[in-house]
Amino acid sequence: MLRIQNVSKTYPNGTQALKNVSFDVKDGEFLVVIGLSGSGKSTLLRCINRLIDPTEGQIFLDDVDITAAPPAKLRQIRRKIGMVFQQFNLVKRSSVMTNVLSGRLGYVNPWTSLIGLWSADEKKRAIEALGRVGIADKAGARADALSGGQQQRVGIARALMQEPNLILADEPVASLDPVLSHSILQYLEQLNKEGITVICSLHFLDLVHRYATRVVALKDGIKVFEGSAQEIDRARFKEIYGEEAQEVRAASV
Amino acid sequence: MTNAAATRPPVTRSGVASALMPGLGQILLGQKYRGGGILIGFLIMLGTVAWYKDPAWYFSPAVIWLWNIFDAVSLAGGKARSILLPLAAGLLAAYGIGWQVVGIDFGKADLDRAAAILRPMANPDFIQTRREKNEMWVNIQVPCSSEPPLARREDAGRVAMVIPDCGTVGETLIVSASGMWPDTDTEVLWRTPIGDPKMVGEGESQMLVARSDESGVVTTAVRVPTTALVAAPDPTLAQFHRVYFYQYRPLGGIELSYVGGEVVKGALATVSMALLATGLAMLFAIPLSFLAAHNLMSGNPLTYAVYVIVRTLFNILRSIESLIIAIVFVVIVGLGPFAGMLALAVHSVAALGKLYSEVIEGIDQGPIEALRASGANWLQTVRYAVIPQIVPPFTAFTIYRWDINVRSATIIGFVGGGGIGFLLVELIRVNNMRGVSAAFIAIAVVVIVLDYFSAKLRERLV
Repeated sequence: MLRIQNVSKTYPNGTQALKNVSFDVKDGEFLVVIGLSGSGKSTLLRCINRLIDPTEGQIFLDDVDITAAPPAKLRQIRRKIGMVFQQFNLVKRSSVMTNVLSGRLGYVNPWTSLIGLWSADEKKRAIEALGRVGIADKAGARADALSGGQQQRVGIARALMQEPNLILADEPVASLDPVLSHSILQYLEQLNKEGITVICSLHFLDLVHRYATRVVALKDGIKVFEGSAQEIDRARFKEIYGEEAQEVRAASV
Repeated sequence: MTNAAATRPPVTRSGVASALMPGLGQILLGQKYRGGGILIGFLIMLGTVAWYKDPAWYFSPAVIWLWNIFDAVSLAGGKARSILLPLAAGLLAAYGIGWQVVGIDFGKADLDRAAAILRPMANPDFIQTRREKNEMWVNIQVPCSSEPPLARREDAGRVAMVIPDCGTVGETLIVSASGMWPDTDTEVLWRTPIGDPKMVGEGESQMLVARSDESGVVTTAVRVPTTALVAAPDPTLAQFHRVYFYQYRPLGGIELSYVGGEVVKGALATVSMALLATGLAMLFAIPLSFLAAHNLMSGNPLTYAVYVIVRTLFNILRSIESLIIAIVFVVIVGLGPFAGMLALAVHSVAALGKLYSEVIEGIDQGPIEALRASGANWLQTVRYAVIPQIVPPFTAFTIYRWDINVRSATIIGFVGGGGIGFLLVELIRVNNMRGVSAAFIAIAVVVIVLDYFSAKLRERLV
């Protein structure tokens, strides 16, 4: 469904975050992107929904060139791509309900949304989305009153409001403890089994082994590996993470 | 020692250098800042003492000079000396001179005068028992014309009269009124043709009070006040003055006194002046604050220039006390709350603009990114990711500013900015200490109440 073709990104300060990266993502995959901090994982994910514009290369979603989409078209493409963030990126002062509803902004009438009016239909959808991640009872709470794990579940519910075909998860569990990490990734796995393609960047290799159907590894912006998680042996690991690296394991469930 | 090439031993050399110029020895030993500090401290001390011209204080620079030689010698031996001694000498001289300059003299305190001011203040003129008034007056010619009319007036069954029918300044007249309330204390007051009240009691500084008899007749002697003609265009021209009789009796209950009413009006004027100023300031500060937010404006050189200009403007306006701005506006728009309001508004635009822009600089970019990613348009992103983040702190800062402005508005009243401060100055000028006390209490109550509620409100917002 997604084809990434020779994508490069050079920031204005000269940093080359991505160098000629190409790979395909098939429908229904749980693709995990690994690599050291600064290897270009976040940049890659943000190029897919063009939060960051790639300097070179093209990205096709179902044969539509995202990189060439004009603003209105881009918003249409974006609303089918959900995104989950390391820092959750919720509006902390707003209620959980408002945060989840805001995932729907791409679909609703822009003018009624500006005065904060939401149809009963959208509200029902929001409660359902919260129900799918098990926190329907928290709808009225302020976002910052929730624990980290709960906030990330609100983040997933917000992405679900977009009725996405694809979810981009940028280190969704890096701010959470290992037990919570599994719980969040299981929600993503569940959504994946329901047919949503997931592209997720992760740090812990055991999580990669547990959840990934396929792995892409980046090092200094270059794709250094593409294949199944099982293929990552000691040698590959050292190649991706450097000679000094020691594998750290997240606690298992 | 680095300066090993010196011909004399470094100990003597640095000692002599410091004796010639304080700090020089230390500088030669490589301690630039220590030496410079000593030199500056010594010069400031010497300058202060020389300016004050009291030879006794020369001990202070002398101590610093001696210590500095000692320190230089000691430093050459590798050991720095504590700066406690010169610091103490400097501070002692500074405080001593300060004491004399300020003219501290506890002997000047006059307890009687303090009591005369504080006693009426213990009884603030704010409320009084409700009472009804019985007022009567009669015309009297001063000075006499060739044929003065009868000094007699009838009104509603009451008769007031003066004997003789005219008078000159200092002459004693007999005034009387009949048909008044019986057995009631009656205030007798002289009013000049322009209505100026003149008290005719003891020393012309106290109210003359006479009591009516059981048939309602008041009779008393009144000396034509010495100041009765000061405002007259021609003191030889006969004019009609008036003698007033006032009687009061309680109606039960209490009411605001006249001064009390003025105090309430003044307090309201002050609070609303602050409210208006804050509102006006907010209108200007909100758009300006976006121009003064570094994260929004640092993109290209043009916007950055705007940012620098707005920031500089804010800093300049903020550094001018609103009291000073008020003096300027009093000249432009005249005395009154309007001038005070404008002054507060100008100062508040800068203060609020700076606070707002810091809020904008501190917003979390995460939600903005998240909403852009979900396909929201620009306006929707602002509405759902930016506004929820800035409205509560903006409101909190605005309420806080209002709180500050009420305090400032009080002081601004002193320079003619209207409101309770202006009233307070007027009351002090006419030595109405009971009124002053009422105004003090009103200010304290307004400030405390507002402080409390603004704190509560802000607590909920943040």
